[in-house]
Amino acid sequence: MNKIIFKTANSTLAVAEAGTGVNLLALAREHGVDIDAPCNGNGTCGKCKVRIDGRDALACQATVTSDATVEIPESASAFKTGIKTADLSDGRELAIFRNIQQQLAEFPAGTNLSVVSVQLSEPTLDDPADDWTRLSAELNLQSASLFALSKLPSALRENNWSIDCVIRGDRLIDVGANLRLCGLAVDIGTTTVAAVLTDIQTGEVLAKASAGNGQIRYGADVIHRIVEAEKPDGTEKLRSAILNTLTPLIEQAANSAGIPQTSVYRAAITGNTTMNHLLLGLPSANIRLEPYVPAVMEFPVITASEAALPLNPDAEVLIAPNAGSYVGGDITAGTLASLLWKREDSYALFVDLGTNGELVFGSSEFLFSCACSAGPAIEGGDMSCGTRATDGAIEDCVIDPETLEPRFTVIGNVKPSGICGSGYIDLVAELFRTGIIDARGKLVKQSHRIKDTDGIKSYILAFSDQSGSGRDVEITEVDLDNFIRAKAAIFSAIRTMLAGLDFTVDMIGEVLIAGGIGSGISFSNAVTIGMLPDIELDKYRYLGNTSLAGAYAMLSSDAAAAQVTEIKRNMTYLDLSTHPGYMEEFVGACFIPHTDAGLFPSV
Amino acid sequence: MPFNKPVPKAGAAINELEIGVGAGAVKLGGESVLPFYAFDGEIKNSPKIGIEVSDLPFDDAPDGIKVFYAGANTVAERVAKAAAAEGVDFVCLRFESADPNGADTSEDECAKIAKEAADALGDSKALVIVGSKNADKDAKVFDKVAAALEGKNVLFVSAKEENYKTVAASVGLAYNQKIAAESAVDINLAKQLNVLVNQMGVQNQNIVMNVGSASAGYGFEYVVSTMDRIKSAAMNQNDTTLQMPIFTPVSTETWGVKESISEESEMPAWGSREARGIDMEVMTAVSVLASGSNAVMLRHPASVAAVSALIKALA
Repeated sequence: MNKIIFKTANSTLAVAEAGTGVNLLALAREHGVDIDAPCNGNGTCGKCKVRIDGRDALACQATVTSDATVEIPESASAFKTGIKTADLSDGRELAIFRNIQQQLAEFPAGTNLSVVSVQLSEPTLDDPADDWTRLSAELNLQSASLFALSKLPSALRENNWSIDCVIRGDRLIDVGANLRLCGLAVDIGTTTVAAVLTDIQTGEVLAKASAGNGQIRYGADVIHRIVEAEKPDGTEKLRSAILNTLTPLIEQAANSAGIPQTSVYRAAITGNTTMNHLLLGLPSANIRLEPYVPAVMEFPVITASEAALPLNPDAEVLIAPNAGSYVGGDITAGTLASLLWKREDSYALFVDLGTNGELVFGSSEFLFSCACSAGPAIEGGDMSCGTRATDGAIEDCVIDPETLEPRFTVIGNVKPSGICGSGYIDLVAELFRTGIIDARGKLVKQSHRIKDTDGIKSYILAFSDQSGSGRDVEITEVDLDNFIRAKAAIFSAIRTMLAGLDFTVDMIGEVLIAGGIGSGISFSNAVTIGMLPDIELDKYRYLGNTSLAGAYAMLSSDAAAAQVTEIKRNMTYLDLSTHPGYMEEFVGACFIPHTDAGLFPSV
Repeated sequence: MPFNKPVPKAGAAINELEIGVGAGAVKLGGESVLPFYAFDGEIKNSPKIGIEVSDLPFDDAPDGIKVFYAGANTVAERVAKAAAAEGVDFVCLRFESADPNGADTSEDECAKIAKEAADALGDSKALVIVGSKNADKDAKVFDKVAAALEGKNVLFVSAKEENYKTVAASVGLAYNQKIAAESAVDINLAKQLNVLVNQMGVQNQNIVMNVGSASAGYGFEYVVSTMDRIKSAAMNQNDTTLQMPIFTPVSTETWGVKESISEESEMPAWGSREARGIDMEVMTAVSVLASGSNAVMLRHPASVAAVSALIKALA
């Protein structure tokens, strides 16, 4: 056995014993050492770089041969701690959420849950009826959870036979003093998980929490996760990864709200098709195999104990229905929150920006949806200096047209070590505006900020001596290619969908943008690079995390939950991968702003 | 009721572009009807044929070509012979030897050869310069050759995504010659390169498109579809970024496929290699002309004669 010590610059993380030949990344995962591995050990992304006895190596490519000390750079585990998520923690997000909350207020509040206070007579020798008989007779109950029954005797006796009962239909699910009906809304994103704990009756938000999705160690995108799940015990591994993310999150939320976790009687979970399958441990392989049919589209009611969620064991877990393999519950619930389905006067386009871009177009009359694989570039993945929106990430940028010098803002006010999605959108728009790149994303100007490494040119935002990573923070022509393909995927999906409906962009009344990347996005720059259609900028509106808002609505109202299912049933799914016009639209969009300059008159 | 033949009215025309000077100058494009649709309207300039002459001797060529060029020992002499072949509208001098992976002839040497060839041609025929397929080297060769041939109104084939900036700046702007913009059988890529070359300051009227080709039977339907759609966008939708005439180098495609290179000894059932090579060249040329090419480059004098006869018969 060899002794492997995992440490950061300052502290030891874990000490592992391993046989010769064990993969280092797998060993790290086994010992709870988080190393970001977006490509899941294919050796293609380079993000799992570690220092083994002073030499740099990729953890996924390294095997144990002898005792060693492995130093994990801070950045390797940054994804876990520093991610800026759309979890309502900043004022702007919260204001957007409140707005959605208000607009959803018209749904008849009300769920199948109720809390009833009862006063029972104490048993005596003359009236020796048992506790359950007393209570069930009083409230006309037919069944009870074992959890509630086990609490019943002490609850009655400690509270002078005057207790609160939580009842669903004619079933008793909890007893105690001063019970509050609490609910948990969770948005399980491929990258991040966000949750709010609410009072179901008042709608009040009691606590909120967010974390990185623990499955990320098995790959950054859904396809890598599905492939991992297909391996022996894979489904169970991915299921525990997400449960291990949710469990502390729920604990944290319940603690800060000051309620026991068993007071959460209802949960609503939104996530893409792969996420909801992996959460429930359902086989996910068919999602990625033709004809792309998932196991479940509309989920039956599942209880928390079946789903292994640490809530009241009888809590109902509502899972937002999937509209297709790549248009999941996050979109059906998001569509509910976007109020797209209620529009009478004009049509709106709802865009959820992420690794997979999902689009919904329509009004109260019809809903059309499609998904495009933009790739991780827009979230900073697969880019030489790409990073998620964490400390050290450049999040916006302006370039002086005379000197070609950049000005930018860095998250966390530290030295820049990378560029995140919103930073890339600004950067590419500015490079184009200042003529540093041509319409194909090639660097065409000369400056001391433009360097040429083995024929690949790059524009340097921060030189190595001013950067947090010790190397140049730059954008290369290869990055530009990746990014242009990502923006082209989104724009061509919009065009293909509209063309399929015989619509033009000027018929869009409003463009509603959702997704974590959206919070800092500059709409004018996104139009300049040809990612979003060139329509009046005041038609663009940022909605924040609509998936979480949709989950919140499902939680508070049975009517809203039913509406999500209705939305799913009314939604027509357009499969772009088999659409003959998509590829041509895509190539046309691989140009800044577009090959057909007429589509972008304002640029 | 009498039958009135409907005449489709195209909204726009292909740019008319002239290469060469004096008596040998030829005009490409200018039409606003589909290829050979003389019954719909005037075909202003019938399609033109260029004959390919390599700067390397035709050692590996079929006998017919060797016989045709017999006695011509220098590039200039071969160019002069080629110009005299029946049906030839212009001569394409191809700097095959400039390829850095081959003889790597220097750009100065290329310029010298080009000058001699142009002098041998005089004003009898227009000249087209074709590169080695190496984008970096082509940029250098084109720069020197364009300088040496200043005032001759020569077409340079081709500027590609990798070298369009240098080629546009020297060939197009400094020496005011014509440029063929080459893309890989995709309407959007063709358009993108035209836009880029134009943005360098080269007028659309000085650009020809080489939208890429294939030998007939080798994914050729993409070529047909691309040309069809380019012509439709140019004429029916008045897309000014696609109104350039199309030049298609056919010979460099067809003479590399197995039908044209397998010896009769290897493939007895296929018959004469030379006949096959000509067939491939003629079939491909006729197909690209029918799809909208305004000019083709051919190698075998027999192919030139055959395609020329067809154009005359249809025009």
